[in-house]
Parts: sequence; C-alpha cells; structure tokens
Amino acid sequence: MRVGIPHLGNLYIPLKTLFRRLNVDYVVPPLNSRRTLSLGAKYSPEGLCIPFKLTMGNLIEAAELGADTLLMPGGYGICRLGYYVRIQEQVLRDLGHPATIVELGVSERKFLGFLEMVKKLSNNAPWTKIFAAFRFGLAKLNAIDRVERAVQKVRAVERDKGTANRLYARSLDALDEADDYRTLKKVEADYLAQLDAVPRNGRQPLIVGITGEFYVLLEPFSNLDLESELGKLGVEVHRTTFISEWTKFSLFFGFLGKSKKERIHQAAMPYLKRDIGGDGWESIGEKVLYARERYDGIIHLAPFTCMPEIVAQNIMPATREEIPVLTLLCDEQMGKPGMLTRLEAFVDLLERRRQKRDNKNNSGQAQSK
Amino acid sequence: MVKVGIPRALLYYRYHPMWQTFFTRLGAELVVSPPTTRATLLAGSARVVADTCLPVKVFLGHVIHLVNKCDFVFIPVLRSVRRRVYNCSKFLGLPDMTRAVIPECPPILEIEIDVNKGEDYLHQAIYELGRHFTPKKSLIKEAAQAAWEAHDDFRKVMHHAGVMLPEAMTGREGEIREASSNSSQAAIGLIGHPYLIHDEFINHRLIERLQATHSRVVTPEMVTPGELEVATARLGRDYWAYEEEVVGAGSYFLQGKVDGIIGIATFGCGPDSLMMDMVRREAARIKSVPFMSLTLEEHTADAGVLTRLEAFLDMIHRKKRKTLPCA
Ligand code: SF4
Ligand code: SF4
Repeated sequence: MRVGIPHLGNLYIPLKTLFRRLNVDYVVPPLNSRRTLSLGAKYSPEGLCIPFKLTMGNLIEAAELGADTLLMPGGYGICRLGYYVRIQEQVLRDLGHPATIVELGVSERKFLGFLEMVKKLSNNAPWTKIFAAFRFGLAKLNAIDRVERAVQKVRAVERDKGTANRLYARSLDALDEADDYRTLKKVEADYLAQLDAVPRNGRQPLIVGITGEFYVLLEPFSNLDLESELGKLGVEVHRTTFISEWTKFSLFFGFLGKSKKERIHQAAMPYLKRDIGGDGWESIGEKVLYARERYDGIIHLAPFTCMPEIVAQNIMPATREEIPVLTLLCDEQMGKPGMLTRLEAFVDLLERRRQKRDNKNNSGQAQSK
Repeated sequence: MVKVGIPRALLYYRYHPMWQTFFTRLGAELVVSPPTTRATLLAGSARVVADTCLPVKVFLGHVIHLVNKCDFVFIPVLRSVRRRVYNCSKFLGLPDMTRAVIPECPPILEIEIDVNKGEDYLHQAIYELGRHFTPKKSLIKEAAQAAWEAHDDFRKVMHHAGVMLPEAMTGREGEIREASSNSSQAAIGLIGHPYLIHDEFINHRLIERLQATHSRVVTPEMVTPGELEVATARLGRDYWAYEEEVVGAGSYFLQGKVDGIIGIATFGCGPDSLMMDMVRREAARIKSVPFMSLTLEEHTADAGVLTRLEAFLDMIHRKKRKTLPCA
C-alpha cells in the first residue's frame, strides 16, 4: 500500500513527518504546476471549481507515482469538498489507476476519523506512537505558519525584493527536515531572526485584508502567488485563515478559535443571516471587520463558479461598511499579466485613498490647533 | 387583504400548491409573477455579478416584477429537507441576496426549513411565518396541515397518474387525455431541476418541441419517490438536495425506461455538473440509452439548442427503427 495526498499549501510537510514517523509508504505528488492544472481540468466535469480540478490533478499525479491509497478530505458538510470523492475515484478508475480514495470525514468524524485512518495506514502502529507523531506534525504546522506570518510582513517592506521569499523557501526545507522538537524550535527561531534582520526600505506599507474561499486562500498556486505579488507592490497582507487553523478546525472544532469565528459571523449577520456553505458567510463578515478596522482594502479570492462566494460577491457591495474590494476569480483561465494589471490599478486606488485620508487628517489637526 | 408575492421561479415549481394553500387559508391573497420572459431575465441579470447562475438571475427578475404589487415577497430557505442532505448555497442565501441587490423589494417573508434541527424547530418556524397573518395557533396549524395535503396530492397526481407538472399545478389534470403510448413513439426522459425543466423560457420550449415531434416526455416528478430512491442509491449516495431529480431520475431512466435522456443543467452550477457527470458516465458504460446534456446560460441561442435536439432525436429514431421488428 502506498499513500498519496493532494496539495494544500504547505500541508504536505507535516503530513510527510507523520508518515515518516509511522513508517507509512507514501508519495507526495509534485507541487502544483501547469501540468497538474491542465490534467485536472481535462478530467473534471465542466464548470467545476479550481479546488476540484487541482486536487484531481494531484491525485492523478500521485497515482502515476504508484500511490494506490489516496487521501482526500470529504464527507458531508455543506458544499465544501463534500462531493468530490465519488467523481474523482471514477475518473481515476477510467484512467486505469486502480486506486482507492480514503475520505477523511472532515466535518463528520473529525479527529477520531482521522486517527482511525492513520492507525490503518500505519499498519496498526501503537496509539502512543501515533499520538506522538501527530503532536509533532502539528507543532511543525504551527511553526510553518508563524514563519509565513513573518514573511507576509517582511515582503512588503524589504529593501531588496525577493529576500523574504528566498528565506521562506529555505525555511520550509529546513522545517521539513527537522526531526525533533529541539531542531524544530531552533530552525524556527533562526529563520524568524533572519527575517527580522532583512533590511527595510522604510516605507509605510498599505495593509490589505485577504478573504474568500479557503482553498484558494491557502494554495498559492491557485491564486497565482497573490501574496508575493502584493509584497512586490509594497502591500502587507493580512489573512485570518491559516493552514494550522484550518487543520485544527477540520480535526477538532474551533477553526480560528470559536470566538474569532463567532465574531466574524456576528459581523456578517445584518447582511447574511446564515451559513450558506463553503466560506461565503465568513467572506462577508471579514469584509465588514476589515472595513471597521480601517484596512486600506480587501482582496476577495473566489474560485470561478464557486457558489457561496458568488452569493458573497453579490451581497458585499450592499454592506454599509465601505472599503474597496477587488474580487479575483481563480481558475485556469486566469493569467498572470491580467492579474498584475488589476492589482496595480487596485493598489493605485488604495494609495490615492490613503493620501486623501492623510491630507484630511492633517488639515483637521491644523484646524484644531 | 394582505398580498403575498410569489416569484415564479426556483422552488415555486416544487412547492407552489403547498404555499398557495397555506397562505390562502390564512386569508392572504397571492400574487404570482407571470411566466419568465427575456425581460425578466434581463432585469434580474442587471443586478448581479455575471457569474451568478441563470435560474437565480431569473428568480431576481421575478422579484423585481413583484415590487409595488404586493405587501410581502415570500422567499423560503430550505436548508435541508432530508437528514444530512443539503441545498445549494444560492438557495440558502436567497433572502439576503435579494435584499442586497433589490433594495426596493417589499419586506421578505422568510422561513428556514432544516429537518436536521428536529420537528419542534420546524413547527416553530411555520408558526412564526403564520403569525404575520393571524395570532391563532390553531388556524396556522390547520393551514399547515391542509398545505401538506395539497403538496402530497400534487406529487401523487404526477407520479401516479403521470400528469405533467404544469397541469398538476393548475389543477387541469382532468383535461389531459390519456397519453396513448404507442410503441413507435419515442419516450424521452428529462432530468434536471423542475425550475429548469418547466420554465419554458429557460429551456427554450424544450417540452413543447419534443411533443411536436410526437415524443412522449417523462420528467422526474413522474417517477415515484420509492423508485427514485432505489435508483439514486444505485449510482451513489445522497449529498445534495434534489439529487434525485438528476442522478435518481437518470439512473431510473437508464434502466431501459425511455429511448433517450436529456439532461438540463445551467452553466457554472457545481452540483449539477457533478450529478450530470455521474449519469453521463453511467450512460456511457451501459450504452443502451443515448444521453445528451444541455448546458444553458444567459446567452444560449435558440438555434443551437434546436440543432442539437434534432440531431439527438434523429439518432434515437434511427436506433428505434432498427430495433423494431420489420413488418
Ligand atoms: S465552496 Fe466553492 S470552491 Fe469550495 S467546493 Fe464549494 S463551490 Fe467549490
Ligand atoms: S443548484 Fe445550480 S442552478 Fe440551482 S441555484 Fe444552485 S447554482 Fe443555481
């Protein structure tokens, strides 16, 4: 039995750790690439969203490398991923890969389902070993996210563009290799210090909140590396959804911590009263919160044809809390040049808005003196 | 009299007899928007982002028509009508989305139906809806019971007596003469949501066109719930609400019940595209019943639909002639 997984940002790193520690035979398919996407798009029913297509591509590429047991988040839950597995398994079969897909009942069985699955895959490893491996994997995931947060900040203000990204790539390799808590801690501290020491350009960055559907938020390939591009334009991004949180939410309960999530829903309430599946409710709530917190703007990421995000996109302009929103639809048609043009125009707009605000504030102060 | 506006779209095609009974029993007058036209679509489509699906654009057009013509617009939210089977996000967000894009819309009467929350929750929801019309609990209860019976009769007339939905809805079933089933007549099974199959504007008058070629048309409502359930299970499990209308009916028709199947879906609809795909795969596997899918969107041209339909029917007739014993 050889296990294969689809990609979601850096999630493969802690999963590798888990598999290694439990002596599971596994393959990690190549990182998302044009090939992954075109394979996925070719074998997906028309009109499906990019999370489906990319994970489809991952599963095919994993099967090509001999994986016969593929893990996919699945199970009930509204909209989100719920239906993928049946079709994806059929596609694989039609392509002549006799692989079975193991559904991780993300919303149903949570942690228990996951542990049982790991137990099976690890050929009945003792529970103590499983728990230990799991804990370490989670620690790694948290470390990765902390480094990523630091990178998000540095990208916007580094003097030499690309420095933070280079450090980020190296840190991921090092975190991947770290095999005990001490090394893990040391690697993290080391890279955080290096990021801290990156020479800055002294400018005050624009701050943009990023919201939308979780897959396109967390998988940079699907959003054409939006965050790096914004960094190049001198914009600091803020995103509430991180992989560690998503994982914990999926496995346990409180995604952003229950209260954080409730706060978002509360903010959305006047405009959307209920969960509509996927992340539509959160997108609206985050728009309201980002506006209240005086962010410069919002980028709303939505997979093309994503139902909950279309609802969110239609409701957003009606909220009283005003803030510029740029919705980017992610799919295989989205090209980098087009996206960059739109980003530049958006950033220009935000800069002008900020200047206007600053001028107003200054003149306001002058008058009050 | 309080006027309640009903947009002739989406769930109207499934539940209108129920709603009508409920509201009229409570003394309200119903205002149903007229059948969809291009103007309906254009009015709705102007309010939303382009990627919104066709049926929702049409729905909003109907709501716009009702502005100034009624005191309330009724927009129920059916989160779940079967345990752990959920509805499309657009249905769940419909009242809020309507308010956001049609600010001039009359107050919206909402009710959330979610069987996962238990019977008490359901009763409470119905009671709150009824309270807009009368404070008397007993009256509301009676109206709800009558509404349920009306719904049940409506469904039964379709799957037992084989009456098509528009006739069953208007109570004109008596006028329909017995469909003479003639073995040389091709039977075409339609699969898809009722708001696609029975909105003549959306589907380019498909049923009328099929009947003009002397085909006998069978729709998912005409299959009994039991048969649908068994057939759905054959291809998978339920996940989306109304899966039976596509996967169930498709799988049922594929068991040699019809001469051809036409699947109707709209562009950009994730659930439909997955469900149609399951039926398409199954049809390709067993090869005995031809399957064609029509994916409709705002700009679909009449001519395109017509050409494909003709080609499909030609093929079915050729196939049928071959299998008929030579006289
Ligand atoms: S939430 Fe959107 S992207 Fe995710 S499965 Fe549903 S339609 Fe696709
Ligand atoms: S099921 Fe599809 S067609 Fe129906 S409202 Fe949802 S997205 Fe639109």
